[in-house]
Order: sequence, then C-alpha cells, then structure tokens
Amino acid sequence: MTLNRIPTLGRVRRQFGWAMIAPAFITLFLMTIYPFMYVIVVSLFRWSIVPTIPRVFLGLGNYWIMIRDTAFQKTLWVTFTYTIGVVLVEMFVGFLLALLISTGKERWLRVAFLLPAIIAPVVVGLTWRFMLSYDLGTANYFLKAVHLKPFNWLGRPLNALLSVMLIDIWQWTPFAMLIFLAGLESLPLEPYEAARVDGASPWQILKYVTLPQLTPVIAIVLMFRTLDAFKTFDVIYMVTRGGPGNATEVLSYKIWQKAFFQNQLGYAAALSVVAIILATVMMNIFSRILSKAQTRT
Amino acid sequence: MKITGKKVSVKIIRYIVVLIAFAFFIYPIFWLFTTSIKFEVDIFSMPPKFFIFTPTLKHFIHVFHETEYPVQALNSLIAAVSNTALSLFIGTMAAYGISRFKVGGNRLLFWFLSLRMLPPIVVSVPIFVVAAKLRLIDTRFILPILYLLLNVPFVVWMMKSFIDEIPEEMEESALIDGCTYFGAIWRIVLPMITPGLVATGVLCFIFAWNEFLLAMIFTRATAMTLPVGIAGFITTEQVFWGPITASASLASIPPVILALIFQRYMVRGLTFGALKT
Repeated sequence: MTLNRIPTLGRVRRQFGWAMIAPAFITLFLMTIYPFMYVIVVSLFRWSIVPTIPRVFLGLGNYWIMIRDTAFQKTLWVTFTYTIGVVLVEMFVGFLLALLISTGKERWLRVAFLLPAIIAPVVVGLTWRFMLSYDLGTANYFLKAVHLKPFNWLGRPLNALLSVMLIDIWQWTPFAMLIFLAGLESLPLEPYEAARVDGASPWQILKYVTLPQLTPVIAIVLMFRTLDAFKTFDVIYMVTRGGPGNATEVLSYKIWQKAFFQNQLGYAAALSVVAIILATVMMNIFSRILSKAQTRT
Repeated sequence: MKITGKKVSVKIIRYIVVLIAFAFFIYPIFWLFTTSIKFEVDIFSMPPKFFIFTPTLKHFIHVFHETEYPVQALNSLIAAVSNTALSLFIGTMAAYGISRFKVGGNRLLFWFLSLRMLPPIVVSVPIFVVAAKLRLIDTRFILPILYLLLNVPFVVWMMKSFIDEIPEEMEESALIDGCTYFGAIWRIVLPMITPGLVATGVLCFIFAWNEFLLAMIFTRATAMTLPVGIAGFITTEQVFWGPITASASLASIPPVILALIFQRYMVRGLTFGALKT
C-alpha cells in the first residue's frame, strides 16, 4: 500500500507545493505587477489625476526633467544622507550598547528597549515634534539646564535634517541593539575560552572572535535598517513635512507630494520608477550578502 | 587590589552609560504619557513639570466623547485583525510550500522579501486608480487588502523559519499511516507551529495597527484609522497637545502590551525569522 504511493509522491508533492504557494504568489504578483506597468507607462506622459485634463505623451521627458531638476538632486542627496547616516550610527551605537549590556543581567531593560520600535511612527513623530519645539520643547530646556544655547532643531535646513535623523536613530538603535544582543548571546563560548587561554586582549577577542562570528547578524541588521530607512515617510510627514524648504524631502515624501498634492502623476511615476530601481538594486546586493554570510557560518 | 579597583570603575562606567542610554530611549515615551494626563497649564509650563503635577483624565474623556476616536479605533481594529487573519492563512500556506517542497527556492523567498522592502508609495497611485473604479476608497475593505503587501511576505518568512524547525519525518510517518496531505498538516504540523502562528499574528497586527501612509491615502473619513486620525490633530492653526497625546498614548497601548507578552519572539519577528532566539 505505502510502497505503491511512493513513486508518485515526487510529482504529487511538487503540484501540492505550488498549490500551497499560489494564493500568496498570485495576490502579491497582481498587487505589484499592475502598479509597476502602470507607473512605467504613466511616467512617459504629462498626466493629471483629473481625467478631463489632456494627457500629453512626453516620451522620456519626465526623466529628462527629473535629471536636470535641482530639487530631485536634492531629494536624492537627502535620501542617501539620511539612509547612510542613520544606518551607520544605529549599527555602531547599537553594537556598543549590546556589548555593554551583554555583560549584565538586566533583562527588564531589554523590554524597555523594545518600545521605540513597536510604537507607531506617527506617535514617535508627534512626540518628537513637541519635544524639539524651539521654545516649548523639553529638548531645549535640557540644553539650557546644562548652560548650553537653545538649538533651532527644526527651523534651519541642516538642523532639520539632523533632527529627523536623530528621531530615526532614537527609534531604531534599540532594535539594532536587541538583535546584536541576541546574536552575541547565541555565540558559542569555546572560542572565547581558547582566545583567553592564548592571552588575547579584549580588543583582539572582539576583532578576531566576536565580529567574524557575528557577520550574518550584522548583515541582517544592515539589510533591514537600510531598506527601512530608504522608504521612510511617516516621521518626515509628522515632523517637518519635507521642510524647511526641501531640506528633509526624502524620495517617498516627494513622490507622495507630487502625486497627491501637486497632481503631477507623470513626474511622480518617473520618481517611482527610480525608487523601484534603487530598492531592487539594494535588495539584490543585500540578499547576496545575506546568503553568503549565512552559508559561511 | 589594583585590578579590582579598575574592575569596579569599569563597572560604574558601564552602569552610567547604560543608564543614560535607557533614559534617552525611554524619556520621549514617558513624556508622551505624562503630557496626556496633564492640564494645559502644566503641559506648557517652563520649567517642565516632570513628576509633580495634578493628573487629569480630561483629555481621554474629550477624545472619547468629542472626537472620532472610537470609530477610528474600531476601524484600526477591523483592518488589523482581518488583515492578520488573511495574511496568516495565505502566508503560512506559502511558507509550508517553500519549506517542505522547496518550490521557487531562494529566489521566490527573496522575491517576497523585496516586496516588503519596496517603498509602499510607489504602488499606491496605480492601486488608488483601480480602487477608485471599484469604489473601494474609504471603505473598510481596502486596508486589509493593501496590508497583504506588508504582511504576507512577513508571514512567509516567519512561518518558514518555524516550519523548518519541525522534522519532516513527522509528516512522512503520518502520510505512511494513511493520512492525506491536508490531514498531516492539520493534525501534525499545525499544532506544532501554533506558538509561531500566534507570535507572527501579533506582529502582523502591530504592523497593520501602526501603518500610516497607505491608510492616509486610501481612507478619508468613514474608514479612517487611528494613525491618520492622530496626524489629523495637527492642524495648520493649532496643535491640541492634550487630546493628541491622549489619543497617541491610547493607540500605543495595544502594541506595547502585545510586545511585552510576546517579547520572547520579538527579536525573531523583527528580523523576519532570520534570527532565531
């Protein structure tokens, strides 16, 4: 009885596997393939959401406008500064904190470090918006308390960019820390003992024992944080609305503004195509790093 | 003696750094909550009143009686719960297929992840046009569907990591004993992955509950969710800090409580199952 079934098992199994995947695959495929084709087509037109306004075929006109648009260059600069800046700080500080905390026993602390990552970004944004307010915020109160000059957190272009980056760092450093912490605690003890017996300094242990073993975890944090920071929107919307001027106008925010605010769907679509390409390229790089890091250990 | 002295000072420095970090990461949340229970005079007082002030629940009462808060909370709940159920169902099926039959391999797995990593704004204009034609804008149906984009890839990754942990022999022996595929999944696999399902569902719920961009674009009034409502408190003329912090505190309670209960799974969840703890 059982032996009779086994030859057909392989074929039945494969079909069954595809059937299991079909609902998720088809749903997500339809929800993304149509939008992708749509933005590619619309990006070739001057297109308004109001159907009565004539749509003009521009070819690659929108892309040409985009490349020469200084506001677009600024958006790219802001997006990359933001993404690279916050990811570097979050990973570095998160790793240091993880090293510090891993030697202690304060488990309850870890619960508290979860909070910033699981509270709605909208809530995070409005909280910080009030705290960073020039004369009513507590941030400047603390500065004055230690006899420093109040800082114009959101009023000046560069300050505003640094402030929204600070908020992101506040929100996601604990996330990086918790993951590094979990990674550190999963490492086997033997290499450490061996290194200590050989008389390695703490620095050498970190460099030759901890970091190499932690590579997959570092790759995971790097991927999640980079791609997440790249699509940031909520906090920018809540705190600065891309301002002052376009000092904090990240790519997601600019697409939203062009499409739903300024009614320039063609241009927004061209920007979307750029965002899709950038995200896909980054995703490819990271998935390669991640697969490599995971097979090595 | 010298060594212990050095050890003690390292310990003290460690404590100070950890304490400062803790204060920095917790202070905004503390501030948010205390502001919501202050009278207006105390909210804007300088120097700020951190601990000593007369507490009040007036902003909470105001939010419940004079704003759309209860309806928005209900909308958020409907969107998050129905999306979570749907995502868990089709996501877990796909995770099982990928884990057991290796369908699509690594490419399919990373395809799912890449959708999750895509900025959602890039698909919202086209989906908006379609949804408008289908008259789905500002209905309670639209967000549960849209959030599939967010949560199905997440469920696939999470549940694959849980299913991978179950030895395949379990189902094979059930099949040999005459179980059907569905029988084996229903009787053997499902009971074993229940904790994973619950933890994954909790995170799906939190993601959907907190989502803002899509909710802002696709809802206007009747289906508006909490994050959109909270953002709406910031008007151009005035910011009502009492009610806004009260509603923000209330909106934070479900994710915070869920995260505390399921903290064991949080690191695993936030890394989509890539890091098992």
